[in-house]
Amino acid sequence: MSTVLITVSPEASRQGRPPRALYPKNFAIGNALGRPGMAELQKRVLREALGLIKEPPRPGEIIERDFPEYATTG
Amino acid sequence: MTELSRKCVPFTPYERELARATVALVTAGGVHLRDQPPFNIADELGDLSFRVIASDVQASELMVTHHHYDHSDADRDINVVFPIVALRALAEEGFIGGLAREHVGFMGYTMQLMRMYEETAPLIAEEVDSKSRADIVVLTGG
Repeated sequence: MSTVLITVSPEASRQGRPPRALYPKNFAIGNALGRPGMAELQKRVLREALGLIKEPPRPGEIIERDFPEYATTG
Repeated sequence: MTELSRKCVPFTPYERELARATVALVTAGGVHLRDQPPFNIADELGDLSFRVIASDVQASELMVTHHHYDHSDADRDINVVFPIVALRALAEEGFIGGLAREHVGFMGYTMQLMRMYEETAPLIAEEVDSKSRADIVVLTGG
């Protein structure tokens, strides 16, 4: 089976060399998918992570993505 | 047991379309059902066990037992570490094929890394592979 990690501790996760990993930039620990009640943001983050499954392989790399709405609310 | 090289990343390609994929969630965020035994946070070595969560679970049936991250946001909305509602939405939209039968929660904090790696992780992988029947797994931490 294929895996993708959503991490908010990119430095720690990098040591584990995951096959695919998304770091939603500047998300806090405990907020891997975003903040409470932000269903659309949570879905976007999950969609981005699943999208890495079909992207060219970059095993061991942590892919950073910006989700500006995380910073503007909450 | 298969010994993984420390230099090699065990990358499994996914050749089918995402719209046909069956997806499971596996979280290290200490997520479990309210009526399941909580993780043992009193043991300084951590808790190597895991909990199986059925796919039709309601978010309100879930809780977090974990003492090494601030889970106050997850207490308000479990989806910030265990995105079951978002996963269902993506299935309804046809972005993925569907949800696996089961998902897994465990407590990512442990002082027994080798046992987590050699015992717990293969058991979770076996659970997901044989019972959950997922072909894609989304992993989340606290």
